[in-house]
Amino acid sequence: MLKQEINDLLTQTGPGTPMGDMFRQYWIPALLAEELPENDCPPVRVKLLSERLIAFRDSDGRYGLMDEFCAHRGVSLWFGRNEESGLRCSYHGWKYDVNGQCVEIPSEPDERHSSLCSKIKLKSYPMVKIGDVLWTYMGDPATTPDLPQWEFARVPAEQSFTSKRWQECNWLQALEGGIDSSHVSWLHSDGLKNDPLFKGAKGNKYNLADMKPFFEVVESEGGLFIGVRRNAEEGHYYWRITPWVMPSFTMIPPRGDHPIHGHFWIPIDDENCWVFTYDYHPVRPLSESEVQHMKDGHGVHNEFVPGTYRPLQNKDNDYLMDRAAQKRGDTYSGIKGISMQDASLQESMGPIVDRAKERLVSTDSGIIMARRKLWRAVEALRDEGVTPPGVDVRHQEVRSAAIVLPKDQSFIEGCAEVLRVRPGEKHASV
Amino acid sequence: MSAPIAQPEPATQPGPAAQRLPTLLSSCALATTAAEARYRITAPAFARRSSRVIALDRQSRGIVRDMGGRSWGGGHFLVFESALPDDALLRHAGTGGTALLSEELDGADTVVMVASAGANAEAASIIGDAAAARGIMSAGLVLPDGAGVNKVVAALRPNAMVLVVLRDVADVPEVLSALRV
Repeated sequence: MLKQEINDLLTQTGPGTPMGDMFRQYWIPALLAEELPENDCPPVRVKLLSERLIAFRDSDGRYGLMDEFCAHRGVSLWFGRNEESGLRCSYHGWKYDVNGQCVEIPSEPDERHSSLCSKIKLKSYPMVKIGDVLWTYMGDPATTPDLPQWEFARVPAEQSFTSKRWQECNWLQALEGGIDSSHVSWLHSDGLKNDPLFKGAKGNKYNLADMKPFFEVVESEGGLFIGVRRNAEEGHYYWRITPWVMPSFTMIPPRGDHPIHGHFWIPIDDENCWVFTYDYHPVRPLSESEVQHMKDGHGVHNEFVPGTYRPLQNKDNDYLMDRAAQKRGDTYSGIKGISMQDASLQESMGPIVDRAKERLVSTDSGIIMARRKLWRAVEALRDEGVTPPGVDVRHQEVRSAAIVLPKDQSFIEGCAEVLRVRPGEKHASV
Repeated sequence: MSAPIAQPEPATQPGPAAQRLPTLLSSCALATTAAEARYRITAPAFARRSSRVIALDRQSRGIVRDMGGRSWGGGHFLVFESALPDDALLRHAGTGGTALLSEELDGADTVVMVASAGANAEAASIIGDAAAARGIMSAGLVLPDGAGVNKVVAALRPNAMVLVVLRDVADVPEVLSALRV
């Protein structure tokens, strides 16, 4: 249960909102690098944190992210010409560089040209490529943080794969699905048996043998660790530990030698978000078949409407609900695929779920604590200017883990090492 | 007599046909809009919760007493006093009156144990076992206490389905409020 004003505080991320200000403290995923594949390629419209932007890659390979609309008459620069180190408006030829600086107004006399140009600058944000992702920082340039250090984006290219999809609901209810460990035994029960990116792990047997897990939620410097334990061999528990790093990064515990995966939820506006989904292996290249499975929508990825980042299963086709498969037990909800099983239910809550009406139970403690941490951080930033958790790159150096521990051992104690990034060392997995 | 309204084929397979399906009143596309949210039934779907919040040690006793003085729904705020044969003696944080654990658990739907470094495993075990025997959800809130946290967590672990290790005492009422204690 959350009061309406707190729900508003946490879900609204437009310019000038407290949570919007907090998101603007971080480097966040803006686009996949594949969307701007070469110099002078077509520009891409992108909306982030309720701001309409245009992204492009200039003739020199520099990335630009700026106000979508030309300063002259408000025309969308998506129609522009990306040429000769700038993006030129198709209407009257005004041209901008990657910093949003106007560099050419062809219609103006030469003597006025340079002084007028220097006074015209579109709002712009830095954009850098790290891994498969183009990252942006939309906050005060004076407080630009260190570049992101997430391990999935820092390993060699052949060890990582990232996709993104449009989710048609507020970012927070999507994120909450990522830290709601109690739904996995139900909604995703088919995935453990059948999905090529999950099946075969010894840990799956513990999962399927003990359907009533216990939970432990521990605060970390950057967010939370959410531990879920099930019975293992005599005197031992099987633990699955999910880190959440503020504001919206999660990593799912691994299975066997399969790659590790997780998500970033980035607000498009208050009723839509991007879900960036990564898979990586810390010590080996992804195999051809693993990458193919990811492209085919297995694991935590999904299939797409061709030529778009909209899932093939979406609310316009009722997510291709298959009642026969549900009845047979092939899937629990009748929806195919883990990501769309989640998205279908999260979107069904409505664009922004009314948390004043919900009825949480103790197994929702991870969600309760995450909201509390976000709320505290938003207020601390707003009232005292305190930099929120997760900005410090040390907070980003986390891993999830799946591990068997003696019953009397705390997972924080037993996993202190393996919950941190150890370059060149394998992740803890069962 | 009006003609029957044509119904589309069910969208069970991906492909162009499924993409062309019209949006119907019952479809997800319409059902998930903000406009439709106005028509969600607002009648309460659940009875008042009946929770028991029990302090297990001296430090948590003060916090539970403080919370017991505030306005809550149906929650009882209690302090563990001593073990009894097959039962335990509790004290109401507000009134100071005593009660048996077995009596308090009759009709309870959630038990929240609040513990810090001084928490004894016996108290957690008695309450946890009694809650489990009655099918009552049990949770443990561990207060910030530096080095002693792991010991407390180990004591509570077998007896609480959910454990939350806090860094800030101020989070206790917020967590209880979220649970509608």
